[in-house]
Amino acid sequence: MAVHAPVNGTTAIPWRSSRRKLSLLEKLRGCQDAWSPEAPWDRERAHAAIRGAPAGSFLVVRDPVTSQPCLLCVSAGDQHGEVLDYSMKHTGKAFQLTESHLSFSDLPQLVLFYSLTRDVLTVCLSLPCWIYSTAEMNKERLSQLEPATWLSTPPEHQTEETPKKEPSIMMCSIQLTSSNGALCIINPLYIHEHGDEWLTHRPAALQLSNIRRERRLSTTRSWAGAGIQSKRAISLDQESKAAGEDGSGLIRAKSADCPLTPKTPTGVVLRRSSRDFVCSAPQRASTGSLSTPPMPGTPEQHRHSSPVPQSPHRVSWIEDGVWLPPPRPSSFLTPPSLELDSLSISSIEEEQETQIASAAPHHPSAHRLADKVIHRLSAVGQALGGLVSQKKRLTNRVVELSERKGTAFGEAVKGFVEMTLKGGSDPSGLTGAEFLQEVRSSLSSLREILLDYPDIQAILDSLTDLTDSEIDSLLELSLHKVALKPISSHLYSCIHTSRTNDGSFQRLQGNFLVLEKNGVEELGGSKGVGVPDPVTLERIQQRWASMHEAYSPNKKIQILLKVCKSIYHSMSANATSSPGSVFGADDFLPCLTWVLLRSNLVSLQVDTEYMMELLDPTQLQGEGGYYLTTLYASLFYITSFQPRLAARQLSVEAQHSINQWHRRRTLHCNKSRRSVQRRTIRRQAARRNSGTETESKSECGEENESENADVSEQRTENSSDSQWTVRENEGCEQELEDQPQTTVHAGFEPAAQQEVAAQEQEDGQSVCTETEEAEDDSDEELKDALR
Amino acid sequence: MSSRGSGGRSNGTLPQTKICQFKLVLLGDMAVGKSSLVLRFVKGQFDEFQETTIGAAFLAQSVCLDDTTVKFEIWDTAGQERYHSLAPMYYRGAQAAIVVFDITKPETFERAKAWVKELQRQASPNIVIALAGNKADLSEKRLVEYEEAQTYAEDTGLLFMETSAKTAMNVNELFLAIAKKMPKTDTQNPTHAARHRGVNLQDPDAHSTRACCGGN
Repeated sequence: MAVHAPVNGTTAIPWRSSRRKLSLLEKLRGCQDAWSPEAPWDRERAHAAIRGAPAGSFLVVRDPVTSQPCLLCVSAGDQHGEVLDYSMKHTGKAFQLTESHLSFSDLPQLVLFYSLTRDVLTVCLSLPCWIYSTAEMNKERLSQLEPATWLSTPPEHQTEETPKKEPSIMMCSIQLTSSNGALCIINPLYIHEHGDEWLTHRPAALQLSNIRRERRLSTTRSWAGAGIQSKRAISLDQESKAAGEDGSGLIRAKSADCPLTPKTPTGVVLRRSSRDFVCSAPQRASTGSLSTPPMPGTPEQHRHSSPVPQSPHRVSWIEDGVWLPPPRPSSFLTPPSLELDSLSISSIEEEQETQIASAAPHHPSAHRLADKVIHRLSAVGQALGGLVSQKKRLTNRVVELSERKGTAFGEAVKGFVEMTLKGGSDPSGLTGAEFLQEVRSSLSSLREILLDYPDIQAILDSLTDLTDSEIDSLLELSLHKVALKPISSHLYSCIHTSRTNDGSFQRLQGNFLVLEKNGVEELGGSKGVGVPDPVTLERIQQRWASMHEAYSPNKKIQILLKVCKSIYHSMSANATSSPGSVFGADDFLPCLTWVLLRSNLVSLQVDTEYMMELLDPTQLQGEGGYYLTTLYASLFYITSFQPRLAARQLSVEAQHSINQWHRRRTLHCNKSRRSVQRRTIRRQAARRNSGTETESKSECGEENESENADVSEQRTENSSDSQWTVRENEGCEQELEDQPQTTVHAGFEPAAQQEVAAQEQEDGQSVCTETEEAEDDSDEELKDALR
Repeated sequence: MSSRGSGGRSNGTLPQTKICQFKLVLLGDMAVGKSSLVLRFVKGQFDEFQETTIGAAFLAQSVCLDDTTVKFEIWDTAGQERYHSLAPMYYRGAQAAIVVFDITKPETFERAKAWVKELQRQASPNIVIALAGNKADLSEKRLVEYEEAQTYAEDTGLLFMETSAKTAMNVNELFLAIAKKMPKTDTQNPTHAARHRGVNLQDPDAHSTRACCGGN
């Protein structure tokens, strides 16, 4: 794929048309003459124009001699029509308000900044609402605007689209929008400490967004999915026109083949990060790479030792803002929920847990640790907070599109939901995994339709600091809301039916009775490894329950990761030997299995399958993919537990199903995500499925020979379960899957009693759960150990 | 083999590089030190390239190799015999594997050979397999001779090193040797590339969609 290598990131990408949206900043630049008029305009005239205008209306007055901007006049919006003056200075490189420490490489950036954040102003600057619209506007038109026009538009609509509504952003950090439309989030303390010269560095172009857009719009679009194809035939041109024109007083450009070139790209772009980057921003900015807003450990942070998860970056002038609602402690820790691989976990920690931690009494070291973690996390959370509004915009827009009658997307969603609700239960039609695959491919198709909407595209393009997979993840989440939410319970019941019919649930239940009494060491965990205590176990149950309730597979994965995290925590915290040691898969898998045996296996099986089939393939990698695999593996272990046989003697049929799943869901990931091959592979794999049985029989004999050693090994492992030894020599000629569990039960008569006992025990546990939940803060110890 | 041992430790001031991401699976008997080995590798690296994970069973770490940043996503497996049957779920799609044994326990070497055999039969055809004789610091208790393992590795076409997670001997070297052996045709998954600074945006290779694993 050719990479367009534009300078300043502004080269128009030759896709679809040469239209190009101007960023807010570019629009501001374009109409600078309107809000910062030339000579005849002086302070008096500006005051006269502003007086009585809504709060925040403003003009910038230029010095009559130098023609440099020297005064910012802002309407206070009160009854007296007061107009406030703020003097400005220009230091050669940067503009700033005399009273403020913040400086900006050009005036539009300053204005944009103060439209988002008050800083030293009494009120935020207010921009006319039309400037926020996604409409295209050409430069010419903008440049002809006059101060009167600028001031005439009532600004009340603006709150709809500006991030103002997000107190989480404002509380914690400052936002700028750079020339590339990227959000910049800069810690004011950093600027205070280190100055702002780095802001004016001019690094090389940032081309990520362009490249990304190219990839996203790669022309090879595959097509599949139940009944959507025909509906898509509705003219997208009409559709996009409709979408464009109803956008509230938009000014449509005739063309945008005169893209503005921003004069001063700051190149400061938020990069998602799971770590602290101390004082590294200047270097980054100057090397022209993606740079990270610094989150330095300033002294103030360390002094701030209260475990209450308040922002370490809190600044008083932001807190007592006139327009800010009172801070909600949890709001700025909103999880970004963007991606599922190894970076994602930083997002997971941000939710709830710090709050829980804060309620608990700590011993000193945990205290310090928790603070450190809270600081780090809230810093990340704040940095990401800026994305929340865009995410909401995206979701809202997708929901809106899906609800609107007659749009291609709305029709497609409707058709998809209807068709899916009808399907899946008919035994003669598609069932189980195949049915879910259909659903998955329809989801992908819906996503393609969505990408055809210019305004969706525009929102996505504004998220320049997200990676492709994060954007896909965002889109997926929006899509889940409109497409999966209405059908999720139907899908559950389809999976349930399919698994009941193929006997999986029966085996699961049967083996559950066999295994439930096993301690973690009997499940293979090393001696002394900890398991969740009753309180943690109860919390895990609650999380499983919320995982089941979540309709989005992405959300489910996040909850899964949280559960895994508490298991890890318990493993070390409750270890009886060598506390503090770090546990790998040798111990994690047994512990997870132990937990599963104390959970609702059926609902977990349903959820697992739901995730495995419906997650976007790109999300199957990384940490989320690993733990999903482990959950699947653990459930599989329970389902296929055959104590009389060597463990290596995996049911060949089942192994095929794994292989098939994997081929379907993972390998094609490496290919172009929109490629036709992907679905081709999927279909082939599905077809291949039918031929596995004969194959499996022939492999059986070969496997069995090499297993003799394992059989004996297995016997010693299970020596405590004396009832198994009888069956050790049974070979593979026995039908593995259909081995009657009843025989097993006959040799295991106290099972029922034990079940009752277990029930009692669980009841006792749930009583305990009312007590303090204290351990999550030291959850981070493992992480720190890993670091 | 280890001549460039410190190459991967190069830090922050990267030139623009391309990024390759690989899934690496860890196999080996229980308690041979799989996790310790990887933890030693991960913790021994500069934080710059380390990604925080919830636990030690899944770790991610990048190393720099000339003009390429190689990112490993390391999937640990449970070594117990009873969980053997689950291994295919983990090594499917893996582009690299480290099979670990304990030089003081010959049975773990036998087990390692079985893993290698299984990988060669069932994993991706182009998978890069490394054999690690761990616990080399316990050489006085050695029961698997270096030559024996070396010969076996040569015969089977594996990378081989004796390592010690305890002393860090050959740990980075092992991962670097694997990194060097990986096909670096491409970033495989460009979405991850964007996450790292320093990705060479001008490099057309970096954005092709050809997979670098030889997936089947």
